[in-house]
Amino acid sequence: MTERALHPSLADRVAIVTGAAKRDSIGHAVALGLAREGAHVVVADLYEAGFADVTRAIEAAGRRGLAIRTDVADPASVEAMVGRAVATLGRVDVLVNGVGGSWGITPADLLAPPRRGFVGLTTCSLDDWRTILAANLDGVFYCARSVTPHLQASRGGAIVSFASVAARKGLAPGSEGSSGPYAVAKAGIMALTRQLALELGPYGVRVNCVAPGVVLSGRARRLMAALGQERGPEGGRAAVPLGRFATVDEVAALVVALCTDETAYLTGATIDVNGASYSA
Amino acid sequence: MQLDGLDGRVAVVTGAASGIGGAITRRLAREGVRLAVVDVHEAGLGALAAALAGASIRAFTADLTEPTEVAGLAAQVAREVGDVDFLVNVAGGPVAPSRADPLPALPARPRPIETIDDLSWGRILATNLTTAFLVCRAFVPGMKARRSGRIVNFASIAARRGSDRVGVHYAAAKGGVIGLTKTLALELGPHGIRVNAIAPGYINTERMEAVAWGRDASGQHQALLDAIPLGRLGRPDDVAAVVALLCSDAGGYVSGATIDVNGGLYFGP
Repeated sequence: MTERALHPSLADRVAIVTGAAKRDSIGHAVALGLAREGAHVVVADLYEAGFADVTRAIEAAGRRGLAIRTDVADPASVEAMVGRAVATLGRVDVLVNGVGGSWGITPADLLAPPRRGFVGLTTCSLDDWRTILAANLDGVFYCARSVTPHLQASRGGAIVSFASVAARKGLAPGSEGSSGPYAVAKAGIMALTRQLALELGPYGVRVNCVAPGVVLSGRARRLMAALGQERGPEGGRAAVPLGRFATVDEVAALVVALCTDETAYLTGATIDVNGASYSA
Repeated sequence: MQLDGLDGRVAVVTGAASGIGGAITRRLAREGVRLAVVDVHEAGLGALAAALAGASIRAFTADLTEPTEVAGLAAQVAREVGDVDFLVNVAGGPVAPSRADPLPALPARPRPIETIDDLSWGRILATNLTTAFLVCRAFVPGMKARRSGRIVNFASIAARRGSDRVGVHYAAAKGGVIGLTKTLALELGPHGIRVNAIAPGYINTERMEAVAWGRDASGQHQALLDAIPLGRLGRPDDVAAVVALLCSDAGGYVSGATIDVNGGLYFGP
């Protein structure tokens, strides 16, 4: 075991990860990665069926794990989650906003099959717009707002959110499984990240986001199975110079790094993780 | 944090004798990376290698603006160190080094365009852009043959948002490095090679300290710090950590990116 493994970089810190209860999600891998770096981890998610497994996995890493049913689109639910996290674990140092997507994002459609077809800005219903913006963008604002006093009290806090290559280049009409509102919400996350970086920098809190291309999460695999082809809404493998999609683990490792001192001088940044498919 | 995929690999670090290059060398050595370090500053390389006596490190003195020296370097590294996994192109700067003056002082004053003569334009382009091209060209074939590799180039905040300090030659050269990086990412992706750039902001190297940038007039230094959301200059180690990250498994799907390491001073496009 290396010296750094004996002195993990997030020892005794407390992290909240939203959207981390599904075993095959990026958030789940982030939660376990943070636990390996020494953090106690709160999983905030609607998917209660995954709670026992994820807390067991966090505790197997020797940290405290706490799963709290949370609807990030509901500010009262978020406030209650953060309150319980602080009451139980005493502090919050890290927030990772893992909830996102164009479907499977509300209590009603949590376990819904992949949404077929493309929901464009010009074709979406007002309900689509509000639902997708709420889960993807409002939720990040609510979570960030609720943890801010705790992060300000922390020394070296961090917030990491998920933008998307969809925010960089848009989604071509016909991009099944995603939506125009999603691309807009993810661009909003980039702006929110920059604004929070300015407001929280003086407190030593760093705020960054990653902008992935297609990541082989459970959600992407379910979509590919439904489509009968290997492509995500952001494109097929042939459109990626690196010739493959991202693994959950490599994206999660990057997100964990953004929570640690490895990135001590990065804030307000959007890190593109797309196999060279789009260079900003 | 625990970075996987570094231990036992081989890295070439150019511009390693001082500042950011030195910090990268020390960090990668700590991760168990075997190092070939390159600089025109022979004494600086010697001191670096001596300080890392326990590590696997070989020093090569070369002027990377000279195509024949770069070709010779690649052949020598292949012979004496082995296959290269990571290529980190740090060599460069707003003043051009030479064997006679390997670590020239940074300009104490801004460089208006009319003060930049043809010779210094050419030398700064050569020092910052031609070196990156030549070194990539020399080491890419080996990476292609093994279908893997990571290249990290050095851009600058001067290219990202412009600069009132270093002159148009340096900003233009670093802008060129970004174009080189994006194009190589497209070209080499199918060969399993990831190519990225880091654009540092104000990093407090020994050379920066020596000219007291932003400290030559009362209040200027504080104004600079006030403009940086994190409220401090960067440390060479801050940049070295991001290089290690990009070379590690955590950087496996990052390619074509320019990573701004500037404390929030500029957010990128």
